[in-house]
Amino acid sequence: MKKVIEIKDLFKTYVDADIIVKAVNGVSLSFEEGEFAAIVGPSGSGKTTLLNMIGGLDKYTEGSIIIDGIDISQLSSKQMIDFRLNNIGFVFQAYNLIPVLTAKENAEFIMQLQHKSKKERQERIMELFEAVGISEKANVRPGKLSGGQQQRVAVARALASKPKFILADEPTANLDSKSTADLLDIMRKLNEEENITFIFSTHDQRVIDRAKRVITLEDGKIISDEVK
Amino acid sequence: MNLRIAWRNIWRNKKRTFITISSIILAVVLAVFTRSFNEGTYVKMIENSVGQLTGYVNIHNIDYWEDKMLDNGMEVTQDLIDNAKSVEGVNDVTLKIESFALAAYEKSTKGTLLIGINPKKEDEYVKLKSKLTEGEYITESDRSILIGSRLANYLKISVGDTLVLMGQGHYGQSAVGAYPIKGIIKMPSPVIDRQIIYMPLALAQEYLSFPSGVTSMVIRIEDGDLADDVCNELNSKIDTTINKAMTWKEMTPELIQMIEGDRAGGFLMIGILYMIIAFGVFGTVLMMTEERKKEFAVMISIGMQKSQLAIISIIEMIYINAIGIGVGIALTIPIVMYFHYNPIKMTGEMAKSMEQFGIEAELPTLMEFSIFKEQIIIILFITAFAAIYPVFAIMKLKLIKALRK
Ligand SMILES: Nc1ncnc2c1ncn2[C@@H]1O[C@H](COP(=O)(O)OP(=O)(O)OP(=O)(O)O)[C@@H](O)[C@H]1O
Ligand SMILES: [Mg+2]
Repeated sequence: MKKVIEIKDLFKTYVDADIIVKAVNGVSLSFEEGEFAAIVGPSGSGKTTLLNMIGGLDKYTEGSIIIDGIDISQLSSKQMIDFRLNNIGFVFQAYNLIPVLTAKENAEFIMQLQHKSKKERQERIMELFEAVGISEKANVRPGKLSGGQQQRVAVARALASKPKFILADEPTANLDSKSTADLLDIMRKLNEEENITFIFSTHDQRVIDRAKRVITLEDGKIISDEVK
Repeated sequence: MNLRIAWRNIWRNKKRTFITISSIILAVVLAVFTRSFNEGTYVKMIENSVGQLTGYVNIHNIDYWEDKMLDNGMEVTQDLIDNAKSVEGVNDVTLKIESFALAAYEKSTKGTLLIGINPKKEDEYVKLKSKLTEGEYITESDRSILIGSRLANYLKISVGDTLVLMGQGHYGQSAVGAYPIKGIIKMPSPVIDRQIIYMPLALAQEYLSFPSGVTSMVIRIEDGDLADDVCNELNSKIDTTINKAMTWKEMTPELIQMIEGDRAGGFLMIGILYMIIAFGVFGTVLMMTEERKKEFAVMISIGMQKSQLAIISIIEMIYINAIGIGVGIALTIPIVMYFHYNPIKMTGEMAKSMEQFGIEAELPTLMEFSIFKEQIIIILFITAFAAIYPVFAIMKLKLIKALRK
């Protein structure tokens, strides 16, 4: 399988009022196409920090992250934004859809940023909304959707740009168990049928149970990395 | 897309946007009213004193303006007239002779301003005939006169009666004459109406023993705005050791000063008003930005360039301000237009004080694009000022911090 992400000796140190926090403390890790990996660990173990660095949202103190052959630390901040647009899909804990856009527009928006034709956008959004089971809510604004529905729209949005992988920081933390199960079904299905790569962090045992690979962090270090 | 997002964004908080836009509308409406009433009044003042009396550009003997006596008058030659007419923007030249005269009728006497004119041209340019309230208008060859209605009242003289004029003619010769009143005119400026006497030029020259003499050559120009250019051009053509061209601005500095002072006061008021509005708009944009920082961070995370996000913020500001100015102007145009054709008539103290300045107690508005343009420019500045904050905030946005909110 093709390697999409290669992380070597990654460190992230925060200096906060003379206290040095090593949020990520020497992580080496790689992900291949088609993975369905969970990053787990206690609160403060560095999950969010790690995901943010992989997503190019945060800079690291030391080490390297190579995505699809590109050393992301070499990109200017403008290039990084375009890189994210075309290569990485994000799903946030708090959904973070744009409230003034309808569900469909939220997903379409990202393709407009990529200058995709209207026809291409329409087709892809239809297909994605079908896949995440939210077609009938396409023209509704996020405020009128449940958390589970919003997160499904967020997954569709993340996929719209045809990214190389999806990063999701605790995507189910705000969802009830039914919605969590539904969302996981959708994610697993996309992973199995479309070979979409998912990397997500979680605290939820039910989510961990459904991951194909579980990476456990503690104090910014990997303490276990199991493939089921 | 940018336009749609920006448009929807401004209506997120309908009440706040509504208040902001309303405040802009209010400022525009107030400013347009103030400015158009002010400018309308100034135009009226200038027309009253300049249009009716002096004319926009005059040629005098170099000493005349300092010391307005007949002895400082000038000899007019056809050459001089032709020369003046050849200047671009000059439509015509009319001649005028002015002098002080004591008027007497029965038991009353009064100091008057005697003006010798070309009756036909004077009517053409200042519609003198239309001011006639009684009797008939004078012709060039008449040996009769027109007098102001208030003067006629004062002297208790009416059409057909003969008025005796006494004064000093050219080079100390005494000027005495008796002339029948042919008509009574009502001048808009009460000050003038109380002292004016019009006489055909030839008759005045004869009365003042100053044949072919005048005190001013009035240069009639196409457009008051050309006054400065025409004046300069004239001065380059005439012998300035003898005569000199002057614009109305030089001739009526008090009027200019008064207008400038008043205008500055108006600007100050409008400036303060807009300043308050600008800070109001700024407050709105501050809130709009602060409450959306996380959203901005999300948009940047998923791949939107900061510059595009900044453009959306600028478009939002443009929308708010454009609606404000658009509605403001749309509201004021019909009202300004109405008062332009139906000036407000002043009464009481205000009217009295205006009349003292020689102005009709009327407040017409000035319908001019420049007044609206001023407001548009000010609003543009406010838009730019208001857009600074979000643009700055977006460019300096700390992604992780904003996302954690
Ligand atoms: N901006 C920051 N400044 C200082 N310390 C920070 C900052 N961000 C994170 N940290 C610290 O880094 C460590 C890792 O935080 P991180 O958010 O990555 O943990 P996490 O595993 O995602 O936790 P949780 O499960 O609660 O989300 C924590 O000790 C946290 O306090
Ligand atoms: Mg976290």
